[in-house]
Amino acid sequence: MGGKVTCTLGEVKQRADFIVYWGGNPAECHPRHFTKYTIMQKSKFLPRGRKDRTMVLVDIRETKSAKAADIFLQVKPGKDFELITILRAMIKDQHVTDEQIAVTGLSREVLDDLVGRMKGAKFGCMFFGMGLSMTRGKHMNSAALLTLAAEMNAFTKFVAMPMRGHGNVTGADVIMRWQTGFPFGITFNRGYPRYNPGEFSTVDVLVRGDCDAAFIIGADPGATMPQPAIEHLKRIPTIVLDPHVTHTSRLSRVHITTAPQGIAAPGTAYRMDEIPLPLKPPLKSPYPTDEQVVRRINEAIAAKPFWMPEGSQPQMLTAQV
Amino acid sequence: MSLQVIDNATCTFCGCVCDDIQLHHDEVRIHEAKRACVLGTAWFLNHTAEKKHPDALVDGREASLDEAIEAAAALLHAADMPLVYGMSNTTCEAQKQCAALADQLGGLLDSHTSL
Ligand code: SF4
Repeated sequence: MGGKVTCTLGEVKQRADFIVYWGGNPAECHPRHFTKYTIMQKSKFLPRGRKDRTMVLVDIRETKSAKAADIFLQVKPGKDFELITILRAMIKDQHVTDEQIAVTGLSREVLDDLVGRMKGAKFGCMFFGMGLSMTRGKHMNSAALLTLAAEMNAFTKFVAMPMRGHGNVTGADVIMRWQTGFPFGITFNRGYPRYNPGEFSTVDVLVRGDCDAAFIIGADPGATMPQPAIEHLKRIPTIVLDPHVTHTSRLSRVHITTAPQGIAAPGTAYRMDEIPLPLKPPLKSPYPTDEQVVRRINEAIAAKPFWMPEGSQPQMLTAQV
Repeated sequence: MSLQVIDNATCTFCGCVCDDIQLHHDEVRIHEAKRACVLGTAWFLNHTAEKKHPDALVDGREASLDEAIEAAAALLHAADMPLVYGMSNTTCEAQKQCAALADQLGGLLDSHTSL
């Protein structure tokens, strides 16, 4: 799990009496999260369900999820990292000045109360969304929150978990970690996987105009990416696999229609807590599945000459002795 | 008309991946998705087994699947630095094939996570 202090949603459902949602709006983006996994569930350890649990929402504005929360903390935009750092200091009784607290838009009383509740919990869980991981600070924010969760274990059981978005993005992380050792932003251009987000991540690659072909599957960057990235996709040969003719398909050289996962294509998808679940597709699609198409493209490429000259390929250690 | 029922189907629209959905379908479309939320219901009811799109498009023209696969393989093989990107709305089995594709191309491999 990449060193995260985390757990499964089953444990949250059974045990978590203190739940924080940070920078996420589950009421609208993950509608069944409350009822299926967190605050609304009754369990052996929390027999009174919602009454036995405390929910805190941290966000920059009052979303629909605030209605479900016991405590809503409105943090100033872009000040999440500061707030997490202050909490990390306060749980250890380190000195924090009033000016430092004022930057976050919250008061000392509110934070003292929060720290008291965090330490008093039997099992705390912090879910963090894109409002934390995609704003100023980005992955440093996520890292800070995960560190806070780890440090809270000096006092009580505490975990953190990212609220992953649509589809099977969690699966993509897991599969890339399994196959290459890295979760995203990978290149094979030396014949073995290397990892460097910022250099090998897609937006950067496209905006700089580095790649000279693109294979897009289960995503629609033509609708979501910044304009310079889209311009580059138009310039180079782009290949799209999707159940629909998308924005990206319209600027591509090749579009192949495939069966939608879980509806007409069988397989596996990962839940946000990295539990793999089998899909049960009810319909039979007239189109092939993604897996079948990519496998056939792989076979067609394998029939062509390999891109590295003979003898220059990286070898396994055993082959070198 | 009697509908077929599938119990404990899995919804992949959001990261909750609810695996307790009951689907009522007639092999062409799904008519009801019990226990799914509004987003999940829309996801299940919007997809059908009808043939609404061409099998494939190559340079804007309709093409057969075989032609499209050959064209895709040729374009990717000719590239010096191809990018394999996305993998959100697809199965783990397809994602594994994508990792193999980037590997044998000597290309880039990336998902939505890096945005
Ligand atoms: S039913 Fe709703 S909450 Fe469950 S996975 Fe589907 S979209 Fe998400």
